[in-house]
Formats: sequence, structure tokens, C-alpha cells
Amino acid sequence: MNPLEELSAEYRRELPAKLEKIAALWSARRVPELHRALHTLAGSAGTFGLPELSVAAREAENYLEACGPALDARQQAGFQQLFDGICRCSIGAP
Amino acid sequence: MLLDGKSTVAQIRARAGSLPAKAVDEALERLLRSGHILPAVDVASDHIDAGNFFSASTSESEAAAATLRANGYFVRFAQRAAQPRKLAAGEKITVFVVEDDAQLVKLVRTYFQMEGMETRLAGNREEINAGLRQAPKPDVILLDVMLPDVDGFDVLARVRQHDAVKDIPVIMMTARATREAVLKGLERGATGYITKPFHIETVLTAVKTVLGLPGAPARADSEIKPK
Repeated sequence: MNPLEELSAEYRRELPAKLEKIAALWSARRVPELHRALHTLAGSAGTFGLPELSVAAREAENYLEACGPALDARQQAGFQQLFDGICRCSIGAP
Repeated sequence: MLLDGKSTVAQIRARAGSLPAKAVDEALERLLRSGHILPAVDVASDHIDAGNFFSASTSESEAAAATLRANGYFVRFAQRAAQPRKLAAGEKITVFVVEDDAQLVKLVRTYFQMEGMETRLAGNREEINAGLRQAPKPDVILLDVMLPDVDGFDVLARVRQHDAVKDIPVIMMTARATREAVLKGLERGATGYITKPFHIETVLTAVKTVLGLPGAPARADSEIKPK
């Protein structure tokens, strides 16, 4: 395995921890930090070969941006759907 | 919006999809004012020479790029150096990587080191200041926008105002892919703009292009695809 492949494998190994952190931020409704974490995930996932996850994270990031810092019940349900999509993408990650 | 160095304003407008012609004209005028495109005759005429841009073709067929392109998250361009640069024996390019995502930093550092380049790293305001003061001056800066304690666009503006570092090429390396973000980068003096996620080879190509190093693409075009 060359160094770049090793980095890619390391990224995938650490992905569950990243998602756990995002889930915790969402549970605590810490929206600014959640937004930042999604932004980072959107930027890095595709670079490490997970484009669907990148797109799902970007959609969630954009959704939060549109909602603002306090989400009402309908917006929370909408975000939950997007977050579930992120989890599905990561489960499917090779 | 595709600027390929050959298209007329009418062709660029036609490819701009749902963007109003006025918005396209305004974007072109701003690019013109910032020196990133050159008018063959006049911006109000039908001929613009986009010049000095490139688009690497390496990833065209890859599914990842296609997915991102389809979703409108894909921008990359770099302004070619005015003069080619030949490195002296033993001379190494220093790339200043301003990025707070540790795994992306590792990727960029590893790749550029494999290419024989030195890397200097910064993830916050203090490290940016230290890295810019350190000798030798970096040859090129790869600059993220969303940093923990400072905005990358503000860093860019400050770099361009500082005599000691204002001529260093700066390539924005950011997840911000909106038209507004790209124009903001151009207006503040970005030499290149690459959106995340990126192909690491694209970053190397951009660095070679802005430095005039061998291996930079001969073809000059660029793509700016607004969300």
C-alpha cells in the first residue's frame, strides 16, 4: 500500500468516529459546530474517494445554513432525514 | 460558466444556463477588472480572451468528479505564471499549506513531499503569521477559507496588502463553491481557486501552473460552475 492509499484507508477507519461526533453535536443541537463539522466532512470525504458522502454532507451543511442557528420542529425533521442519508452513505463506504 | 480562452460573450452567456445575462456580464466585468480575463476588444463586445486558465483533464471520467460536477460543487482554475521557472540544482519549492483539517493536511503534505517539494503548515491565525515570517518565503500558498479563528479571504486580502508577501501566488482550496465565493476570492487577489473535494493531482497542477514549473498544462482554460 502506498502512502496515499494508507491515508485513504486511515480516513475510512476514522469515519465512524467523525460521524459519532456529528451525531453528538446534532443531539445537543450545537448548530454552529455541527455546521462546521459537516463543512469539513463535505470537503474531505470526496477527496478521500467518498463522493456520495461528500454530497450528502454538503446538502446537510447547506440546509443548516438556510435554516439559521435555531431550527423549528419541521426543520429538525428535515435535517434528521439528511443526517440519516449521511449515515447510509458512510455505511456503504468501501 | 465555462471560460475556455476562445468563447465569445454570447457563447459564455448561452452556456450559463439559468443565470441571467446581466449576472453573467457583471461576473465577466468583475473578472476583467481584477485582471483575471483579458478583453480582446472590449467587454461590451462579443470577444473575450479568457487566457491564463487551465482545467486538468485527469479526472474527467471519474465518477467522483462527475457526481460533484452534477451537483454543482466543482470549481478549479489557476492563473499561469507570466514566466516559466527553472529550479536550480537542489532548489526546492516551499508550499505553505493553510488548512485545519488534519487529514487533508497529511494528504497534501505527503503528496507534495513525494513530488520533491517542501511543505510548511498552518491551521490558525498564529501559525499563519509565523509561517509567513519564516525564511525562506513560501513560493506558493494553499489557503483554506473556513479556519477556526480567521477567515481565509481576510488572510488573502492581508497577504496582498503586505509588501513582503504580496507577490506570492495564493490558491484558494475551499469547500466554498458558490459564484459569490469565487468572485470574492478573485477580487481579493487569488491566483487560483480549487473547491473541495479535490483531486490531489489537480492541486499539484495548479501549483505548477501558478509557478510556471515544468509539467503545467499547455492548454489554458477554466471552469467556474456556480451552484
